[in-house]
Amino acid sequence: MKSIIYSCPYVPAEWIAAHGLQPSRIVPDAANSAAVLVRREGVCPYVRAFVGEAVMCKQAGAVVVTTVCDQMRRAFDVLVRQSKLPAFLMNVPSMWQTVASQRLYMDELKRLGRFLVRLGGRSPSPNDLAKVMLEYDTARASVRAARGSWSSRRYSEAITEFGRTGKCVITETRVESDLHTAGTPLAILGGPLLGQDFELFDMVDASGGLVVLDATETGERGICAPFDRRTVREQPLIELTSAYFGGIQDPSRRPNSGLYHWLRHKLSDRAVRGIILRRYVWCDMWHAEAQRLKEWVGLPVLDIDSTGHYQTEKERWANRIPAFLEMLQ
Amino acid sequence: MTDMPRQITLQQWDQRYRQLLSTGLSEPSYGGPLSRHLEDGDQRLLKLRFDNSTAALRLWNFLLTEEDRLHEARARGKKIVGTMKDLGTVPVMAYSSDELAAFYPDGAWWIPCVMELNAGLLRIADSLGIDESFCPVRAMLGAFLTEAHFPTPELLICSVGATCDDFSAIAQRLNGLGYPILWWEIPHRRGPEPGEEAVKLPGGFPAPKCQVEFVKSELRRVQAALQDLAGELLDDRKLSRGINRANHVRTYLGHLRNLAFTARVCPLPALEMLIAEMLAIHFCSDQREAIIVLRELVREVKTRVEAGYGVLDADAARIFWVNPVADLQVMNLLEKCGGRICGTEYLFAHALDPIPEDLPPLEALARMALADPMVGSSADRAERITADINRFGAEAVLISRIPGASHCALEGKVIAEIVQAKYDIPVLEMEVSPVTDSMRQTLRTQLEALVETVKEARYR
Repeated sequence: MKSIIYSCPYVPAEWIAAHGLQPSRIVPDAANSAAVLVRREGVCPYVRAFVGEAVMCKQAGAVVVTTVCDQMRRAFDVLVRQSKLPAFLMNVPSMWQTVASQRLYMDELKRLGRFLVRLGGRSPSPNDLAKVMLEYDTARASVRAARGSWSSRRYSEAITEFGRTGKCVITETRVESDLHTAGTPLAILGGPLLGQDFELFDMVDASGGLVVLDATETGERGICAPFDRRTVREQPLIELTSAYFGGIQDPSRRPNSGLYHWLRHKLSDRAVRGIILRRYVWCDMWHAEAQRLKEWVGLPVLDIDSTGHYQTEKERWANRIPAFLEMLQ
Repeated sequence: MTDMPRQITLQQWDQRYRQLLSTGLSEPSYGGPLSRHLEDGDQRLLKLRFDNSTAALRLWNFLLTEEDRLHEARARGKKIVGTMKDLGTVPVMAYSSDELAAFYPDGAWWIPCVMELNAGLLRIADSLGIDESFCPVRAMLGAFLTEAHFPTPELLICSVGATCDDFSAIAQRLNGLGYPILWWEIPHRRGPEPGEEAVKLPGGFPAPKCQVEFVKSELRRVQAALQDLAGELLDDRKLSRGINRANHVRTYLGHLRNLAFTARVCPLPALEMLIAEMLAIHFCSDQREAIIVLRELVREVKTRVEAGYGVLDADAARIFWVNPVADLQVMNLLEKCGGRICGTEYLFAHALDPIPEDLPPLEALARMALADPMVGSSADRAERITADINRFGAEAVLISRIPGASHCALEGKVIAEIVQAKYDIPVLEMEVSPVTDSMRQTLRTQLEALVETVKEARYR
């Protein structure tokens, strides 16, 4: 079965799966960056990598892009011109406090549903949708429950693996390197990670730190809220909207106070002592939050911008992360 | 026509101003010699070339006295509305009430240029973590904090959703600094799906009716906030009158653009045309006066066209310009290099199209807001550009990239591909910073090459 690929956390995997298609939330590889978008200047490295990955992905039957960031919205224009892959642009409202925005999000889900049906999917009954939602919710709960008993890298990879396949791989046999270790508790915050970025977790471990909160878009911050199982059975689409649109916090939301409320709770809960803000150059949304975050959080913040050049980037990490942890210790 | 049309320096304008006064020049209250604006720190004026007509004098004085006008409006008891990002929709609503005056704090993006970076606004933005990787509109943050360039509005309204990330992020930073903002959502405009009820927007694009309904509901929230602030109902009758006045502005601009872009000899320089077009978005804080300023410009240009006079050589390369420039001097530079403007898309084509007057006002405004070229796809924008290239007979397209702007990274490629596929004309993309002095030679070389290419193509 061909996959419906996407990267935005506001695209509910359950909705695609309930249409009988395979959702796959991809983690692009920086190596594919120049496949379509040769130009670097001004272009977010993640957007370049995503577009490259979408075009190169042989298993993809279609791609779903959202309007959460302007560069991604514009990348859709490039995608539809450069690739024959069926593509869908989903409007995800920036505002979240109005009923109209919530309704717009739900209407967009219905429109996505019609797109999926045109691709060969089937329109799910409420019962079908509820069943898929409960399966995903169970698997997601298993992933969540594993936090703290696995290494931070393995845990974050398990989250992305769940996004890619819908399966919880956390029950499989662990090896020694998968185990949880001790260290100065850190949060890693930012947009989505590229495949190569997971080395960051190892580097933190090796420098005496421990990522106790993966607040990147590919990490815990990009996971929807647990479902209210009763509402799932009664009004599954409303519950899906509530868990995703109402449950995922992002700097692109207006206002984005929800992100700070979420962070306040998580940082305190996990006794975080420092934050690594990992953002892409040309990503305005996270860049604009960097200073505000520093002013707000009352914790040391290491601001790492990424150009997508991993050779040079690793060398920068190797200098900056140990220095940051040394300062914290 | 007041004299043989030509472009003159600020010093020459002063001499001319004295002559005009001695021959009985009649001016509005904000009139005066242009050089007096140097006292406000507008040093860039010294490096610009201006049209020598009294209509242009009025236009420049109108533009450069906007801050005074806003303060006067407040002193008269009007409430000030800062409308952000939508470029043309909310001001139509605000100016429907006599109790309100609206302006775009976004306009602060030209302050670093006009004051040649001396205002320190970009430094303030830097200090807030909004550095040069963002669009020059970041100057707005400094303008808010210094309170030196416009009165702090009683109400800030900002459109979000299908907007550029720079502006959205900067507005959020402003909000985070304690400035309350009324956000309203504008969704990405899409084409109607098969079987979906559709409406035609001003400018010609179709959109699903449900999107119009959504925007209408958002504008209803804006309407309620404006009513609260004004202390009066902003009913359909008032909104219709406001739309009618906005359409006066748009009609004059339509005439002006048509005359200026299609004339055999360019009758009005690019710089004055750019400023005239900017009047459409918020009327430079005085809707009635904006109409008079434009009426005079149209009259001047009409006279010049009928007489066959212009400010540039008749063989000037006819260039379609995409995106506004952060440095006004670049418009002069194009003309110096042998080009002229024949068509523009300065990000607000929707503010130039007449607003339907045969619809309920909020429906008409919602349709107009959705017609925003930046709300739709780059391909849609390119389609509109190609239509205007044909209409105005442009021979090349120049896309001026706004440094750091999220839309500029990818849209240029799409626009260039579509334009070239349709017309096989040269397309040049170049970045224009707020003060281009250090890269003037590079820009000049690029512009000269474009003009040369156009002129060579005429003989092929």
